[in-house]
Amino acid sequence: MTDTVLRTVVRRETHSPRTVAMLVVVVLLLLALAYAAVEIILDLSGAQPLLVAPGEALNAVVAAPTALMPVAFVVGGVVLAIVGLIVLVLALKPGRLSRHEMSWGERAVVVDNGVVASALAQHLSNESGIAREDIVVGVAHRSVDVTVRPPVGIPVDEAQLRRIVDEEVTSYKLSPAVRTHLRVQRPDTKES
Amino acid sequence: MNATRRGLNRFLLFLVAVVLLGLGALALAVGLLPGGTDTWTSVMGGFQGWLESLGRESAGWGAVAAIVVLAIILILIASAAVRGRRQAPLQSTGSANDEGRITVTDGFASEALKNALGERDEILSSRVSAGEVGKESVLHVAVTPRQNTSPRDVAEHVDTLVTNLAALTGQNLRAYISIHSGLRAKLARDNTRVH
Repeated sequence: MTDTVLRTVVRRETHSPRTVAMLVVVVLLLLALAYAAVEIILDLSGAQPLLVAPGEALNAVVAAPTALMPVAFVVGGVVLAIVGLIVLVLALKPGRLSRHEMSWGERAVVVDNGVVASALAQHLSNESGIAREDIVVGVAHRSVDVTVRPPVGIPVDEAQLRRIVDEEVTSYKLSPAVRTHLRVQRPDTKES
Repeated sequence: MNATRRGLNRFLLFLVAVVLLGLGALALAVGLLPGGTDTWTSVMGGFQGWLESLGRESAGWGAVAAIVVLAIILILIASAAVRGRRQAPLQSTGSANDEGRITVTDGFASEALKNALGERDEILSSRVSAGEVGKESVLHVAVTPRQNTSPRDVAEHVDTLVTNLAALTGQNLRAYISIHSGLRAKLARDNTRVH
């Protein structure tokens, strides 16, 4: 797909817009600002403060290092820095959604990872004869994990299963490409 | 599909993060550095003195004005970031020749697609809408297939339908197809083919 408009669409649909985080931050800031404005106006009109009058608050801030232990400043600083770091991570990380793009000629196709996982499990079940309930598939950003739990006494050809999974995954033409991992889990049948 | 200003969202988050980190560093410096306490007291004392020199009334109203301006800026940025979330109006496309003119509205296109998709048993629900990305219109087909349906089959099917529709309306549509899993797919009967 070469179309730049569709490229934009696919990028948008596979990455979080961060709207919720932005709105939460803005609403919190607005609440804090509104509270400050209310206290100042109450003070100017001579009414009782809601919590603390602005003049006293300012005095407390100026006297804070002597009134409080330095430890309080350190703790406060660490808390602020941690919250700041969380917001920074939200601002800078790509925020990938659990979706993949399928390379599909001129069309832009985006598929939820869950759809890929269930389709892959069903395909493997159809091709190998192992019951669908005994196959668990997890699809992550760059890897597909397949766990097969065949019933006791039924031999399975792991290479064959791996080939089926690889072929099916390749046919989806997922982007970014995924690596497949297959695990055959035998129930504990040791006799003792 | 929406046109939320993602850059703006992230820019705002980044600004807030920088301010928070700066405040945190300041508090740590006051608490840890020798002489931090004295510096804090003298700087904040100077600030307090400056406020008091302005007089109670003007300092108070000045602060309120500053807060209002800050709040307006925040609201403007937030609404600018979110406002992109509107859908493009349904448009009509047409072809004209000597005989006359044929107009096909997007409403027709989306109904036709929805009907065609509704006939397939493995597709639980579909939604067709027109969106706009940088002044270019994009047809968005969102489908929720039954669990265990191959996304390849779904994509192939929708692709064919869109291609047919393009041939019918004489206009090559820019189409974006999204295939979803969801509560609906989890609750409905699985698509289990019997061989």
